[in-house]
Amino acid sequence: MIWRYDGSFEGFLSSVVQSYTDKTLPDLLTKSEVDIGLFDEILDISTNTKDALKLLHAIEKQLGEKIKEKIYHTFLCDDQPFENDLLRYIRLGFKEPSLLEMISHPLVYAIEEYQKRTLRTIHKMNAFSRFETLEDGTLYAQISPPRNVLPLMGGHFKKRFKHERFIIHDLKRSMALIYDGHSLELHNIHDYDLPQRSFDEEKYQHLWKRFFDHVAISERLNPNLQRSHVPLLYREWMCEF
Amino acid sequence: MTIDEKLTILTESAKYDVSCSSSGSTREENYGGLGATGTSGVCHAYSADGRCISLLKILLTNYCIYDCSYCINRISNDRPRAAFTPREVAELTINFYKRNYIEGLFLSSGIISNEDHTMSLLLKTLQLLRHEYHFNGYIHVKLIPGAAQELIIATSLLADRVSSNIELPSSKSLQLLAPEKTKEKVFLPLLQAKNYALENGKRPIGMSTQMIIGATPESDFEIMRLSDSLYSKAMLKRVYYSAYIPVNNDKNLPALNVPPPLLREHRLYQADWLLRFYDFKVDEIVNEEHPYLDERFDPKLAWALRNLHYFPIEINRAEKETLLRIPGFGARSVQKILRARRQKQLSTNDLIAMKISLKSARYFITVGGKQPEKTLMSYEALEYKLLALPKPLPTAQPTLFDHFASISGEL
Repeated sequence: MIWRYDGSFEGFLSSVVQSYTDKTLPDLLTKSEVDIGLFDEILDISTNTKDALKLLHAIEKQLGEKIKEKIYHTFLCDDQPFENDLLRYIRLGFKEPSLLEMISHPLVYAIEEYQKRTLRTIHKMNAFSRFETLEDGTLYAQISPPRNVLPLMGGHFKKRFKHERFIIHDLKRSMALIYDGHSLELHNIHDYDLPQRSFDEEKYQHLWKRFFDHVAISERLNPNLQRSHVPLLYREWMCEF
Repeated sequence: MTIDEKLTILTESAKYDVSCSSSGSTREENYGGLGATGTSGVCHAYSADGRCISLLKILLTNYCIYDCSYCINRISNDRPRAAFTPREVAELTINFYKRNYIEGLFLSSGIISNEDHTMSLLLKTLQLLRHEYHFNGYIHVKLIPGAAQELIIATSLLADRVSSNIELPSSKSLQLLAPEKTKEKVFLPLLQAKNYALENGKRPIGMSTQMIIGATPESDFEIMRLSDSLYSKAMLKRVYYSAYIPVNNDKNLPALNVPPPLLREHRLYQADWLLRFYDFKVDEIVNEEHPYLDERFDPKLAWALRNLHYFPIEINRAEKETLLRIPGFGARSVQKILRARRQKQLSTNDLIAMKISLKSARYFITVGGKQPEKTLMSYEALEYKLLALPKPLPTAQPTLFDHFASISGEL
């Protein structure tokens, strides 16, 4: 049996609740159509926000804040088939909380790895996102990260751009993080007009490229090392490449 | 001259400085506006040589009155010269920072007119950034040896890190190649900045220096001994090693076609790491008998091969410090083992499940009394086995380590 949920965190948690009420586990839990074959039997899980919140509360209370965070971080690792592992991990935790400490347990190790991937991507996106200045002074970055890290990027940029306004736009997931100088909000963005850049935007991009090209030492050229630090998939929105 | 041309010249002139770290600021002042610093740095880009770009690394000017043999900017070289105004540097920094290109500024300079004049231009730039632009990001600035103490102190109060490069690992080499500099003169500004902080109950600012490797005949032993005393006595936060790239034709220096000793530089960084985070003493890594690091093995493995009597180590019982001495285990692997063995007696399969590399470690450990590799072999046999392993690529600079700062303990 394949269970299909709507892709939201609430939807995922609802699936976990379902597995308790039905006393069963799916062969596959997925949000993706791609994973589903023609003759597979499918159960559509309906998202129940109330149940989801209840479960989240229980996770926090019985398993602790850290595990809750781990579960959320794993969830954001969204290009990987993490759902099956995460569903079993949560059930393992409620059954035997002490096992979640044992990192040599394959499930526990797998979840740590998912979380690490998410955290590493956040670190990379904090470093590699490039802002452009718009006419009105707003800083605007377009990104398409391999994992759904946008919800976790706000704090980092709010700290450094406290008095600025900024928008980080995830084009892959049609979402944007908007900071108006006071508060951060996450929005779904389905239509947008390409905003007008400020008059000196091009000049500074050009200067940055200049710097980037000339700071390399030609006697030490090492494109492989460069690529291992900045994999190609991150370069799409980096103006220096 | 356009900003564009200036930036090209002054980036080219600054690029041989290795340091680009933006981590570990302990600054208490907040200048209120744009920017923040954290304990772990951020590498915003990597240049074509694979080095981390964290800071806008430029010279204020490459005009210089000195004639240091190893330096591309020495007065006797016929090169294009340029000078930024302090405001130009400030504008560039702010505009790059806003676009998330950089964590801040690394500003150095050739000596223009005289030391005091140069230092005051650097100070002026920092004042502009901090007080007029309210820039709160990271600033690393070079202190100019020979400049007045007031200028040195005023500058260090506005920076996150200050440095002064010793450049050559011995006084003899310094005298030969940089007659205007002495060891004492180079370190005086760092000493002044440190003492001022201590006398005024402030936290001492992070300080670093750089040594050129392979331009002069000092052994690794001499180099490491100097580093060790710089860490323990001078309280430096980092010593950087820079493989010498011949930029000038000089009878006292390697010829222009000699490639930079990148592997030696890499081994020195590894040895430096052992000194700072793995509790090794210099004598254990290099000594009179072994004055050079073995280029074939990383220094921890080389030490283990010379000290086989220390092994095997039982990973279920050994203390953290002992685990850290096992070749092939880094701070992360040790952390994993310590965590996992609280729950149960670990087996080899557990280590594999936690993706701990046993490639070199397996010759040096026991797991539950059993050795993954049957008998601990002789030095020769081990050397033979280990050399069959794929060699790690020498990296340009241990920027990777900066990411692990929180784990390995660097602040």
